[in-house]
Formats: sequence, C-alpha cells, structure tokens
Amino acid sequence: MTDLDFRQDASYPAAGPQNTNLADILERVLDKGIVIAGDIKIDLLDIELLTIRLRLFVASVDTAKKAGIDWWETDPALSSHAARNALKDENRELRARLEALESRSEDTSADSR
Amino acid sequence: MSQGEEEQGLMTERGTGTSEANAVYAFAVCHTEGDPDVERLTGVTRDEPVRCLRIGSLTAIVQTVRGSDFTDEVWQKRLTDEAELERYARAHHSVVSAVASQFPTVPLPLATLYNGDERAALSLAGESARFRAALTRIAHHAEWGVKVYVPVARSAGDDPSDERPASAATRTRPATGAGRAYLERKRNLHSRREQRQADSLRVADAVDADVSRLATESRRLRPHGGGAGDDRRVQVLNATYLVAGHRAAELDLLVAELRRRTGAHIEVSGPWVPYSFVGEV
Repeated sequence: MTDLDFRQDASYPAAGPQNTNLADILERVLDKGIVIAGDIKIDLLDIELLTIRLRLFVASVDTAKKAGIDWWETDPALSSHAARNALKDENRELRARLEALESRSEDTSADSR
Repeated sequence: MSQGEEEQGLMTERGTGTSEANAVYAFAVCHTEGDPDVERLTGVTRDEPVRCLRIGSLTAIVQTVRGSDFTDEVWQKRLTDEAELERYARAHHSVVSAVASQFPTVPLPLATLYNGDERAALSLAGESARFRAALTRIAHHAEWGVKVYVPVARSAGDDPSDERPASAATRTRPATGAGRAYLERKRNLHSRREQRQADSLRVADAVDADVSRLATESRRLRPHGGGAGDDRRVQVLNATYLVAGHRAAELDLLVAELRRRTGAHIEVSGPWVPYSFVGEV
C-alpha cells in the first residue's frame, strides 16, 4: 500500500456544518460508519425503530403503519420519561413480533409463488 | 453463544466490585504521528479529559468513562430519551469534527466502548488495514448532504367543502350533470395528485443524478418527515455525497442551477466528516 500523505492539506479539514439538526447527525453517527466491535456490546436499536420512536422520520412511520405497527401512538416515552423498564421489555417484545411478522410475510410470498 | 461467554469471562476476570470500573469510549481514529489538539473538547463526560491513544501510525481519540454510565442498559434508556440521545450524539459528533479539522479522520460509531486502553489499542490495531482503506477512500474529500423539498400543494379540489354551487345549466338537469361533474372533479383531483407525485420524484431523481455526476460516491438516505406542524413541505430526496475538496465550489454552482431549473427547495449541509463513506461499500 502506498503511504498516505494527507498532512498539511488545506482543503482537507471538514469541521462539520453549523446548526445541524439531530436527524442529520443521528443518521450519520448511528446508521453508517465503519463497523468496529467494541468490548462492551451496546445494542443500538435499528435506526428504523429508533427513529420511529423519536418521530424523526415520517417515512419510517408510514412503513411501520403499513406493517401494522402503531405502538408509538401510546408509547409513554414519547410523552414522559416514565416506565423505562417497561419500554425495554416492550422493545424486546416488539422486535420479536416484527421478526414474526417479517417471517410470516416471507412465507406468504413464498406460498404465492 | 460464544459472544456472551466472552463477555462473562471479561466480567469475571475483572473480579467483583466492578461498578466503579472504568471503560474507554472511542470517538475516532485519525492518521497522524503527532497528537491532535483535544484539550478543549468535553467529550461524553466531564469527569475525564478527551485524550489520544497511539496505535502504530494511527491515533485513536478516546476518553475514560465510568463503566456503569455506559452499559447496554443505560444506553437503552438513553435511546428512548430524545434530549439525552441528542446530548450524546452531539458530544460524539463534536469530538469527531474537531479532530477531523486537524487530521484525516475515520469516525467510529456512537457508543464504541472498550475495557481499558490496552483492549482498545489491541482491537483498533487489529482493524488498522480497514482504517487505512477508509482513509484512502475519503482523503481530500468531504461529505455533503442534499435534501430536496416540494411544497405540499393544497389544491382547491382537495377540500370537500369546496363544492361550488350548481350553475344555471346544471340546475335545470340536476341529477345527471351534477353527478358527472362530481366524478369528473374527483378524477381530475386524483390525476393531479399522481402528476404531482411523479413530478416530485422526477425532480428528486434529476437532482440526485446531477449531483452524483459531480461526486465521487453517493448514498440515498431515508427522507425525513416534516418537523414542525406548519412546515408545509415534503422531503422528496435525502441524499449524501462524497465530494472532492476541489469540487466543493462546483457543488454550490450546481445546486444554484438546479434550484433555478426545478423550482424545488434544495438544502445543502456540509462539509461533514465523511461518516457515510468510511464503511465498506
């Protein structure tokens, strides 16, 4: 590999834009980037689920609605910070349901062939 | 599961009473033999300074944190709290940006944590080939976000209360004329809507195609939903581009021209550290 020579390149620095909104940052610090295994496994939700919860992307909400998932409408985390443990459990349960849903729809599409 | 066993092993190795144990939070890896200036950076905790960790010819930017504040459980709570999540995301981003303004930098994802400096150095050193590849890919480039919005057209026909009083002609033959006119209006409304949709997708594709030609790489992200209630626009394109430093000015001109040509509202954000382009594509 050729040695990298980036130093003293005036055009290089990218300090990041001013006044960035949270969604712009989240979709970069969470969704993309290089995948590196840490020692402490943090299960950052799929950005899809996370952003639904935070109502950051209506497009995702529409997708979820089509799949019959509308739990965020009554999600206590969206109105208060209470019931956090319950939320965690709910989260697990929802992922399980989502998996079940997805495998079912795969089955159906396989059947229809 | 071997992963679980490994974690348990680590826990036992560190013995009991690990509640006070420290972890090492890694923000980014940069290419430098010298130390980036990180003195004024806060990072994700006020307890310990942001510092540099040498990994061969690369340098990781890290911070010692209290392990109990950075467990999976704590993160799960954090992820349900928009204000908290925002605090951490911005803290992470500001360290990454500050370092990237000094040296070529590969950002690490939010919440990359190790059990101490030795572990961090060992793990990250094992990835140095990937870091070098990423550094090569993004060298002399920055990431620019481009979003295209179209106004939510509130056409007259959308509103049922908009029914016009019957004209003199239809009053004489109310039944047939009124019914047919109603259906006609419905049909027009429907096709206008479809037309609008097709038009905005065409605008999105045109903008994406033109900017992609100028960019080294491109990625389409999920469009964001409307934020504030009175924001009467729909985002039809949310894309991000890896653009060579010497073409940034061209991007400016191109976007200005696209605004004129399409009439769409186009927002540009950047330059970003190329977060979206450091992973394997």
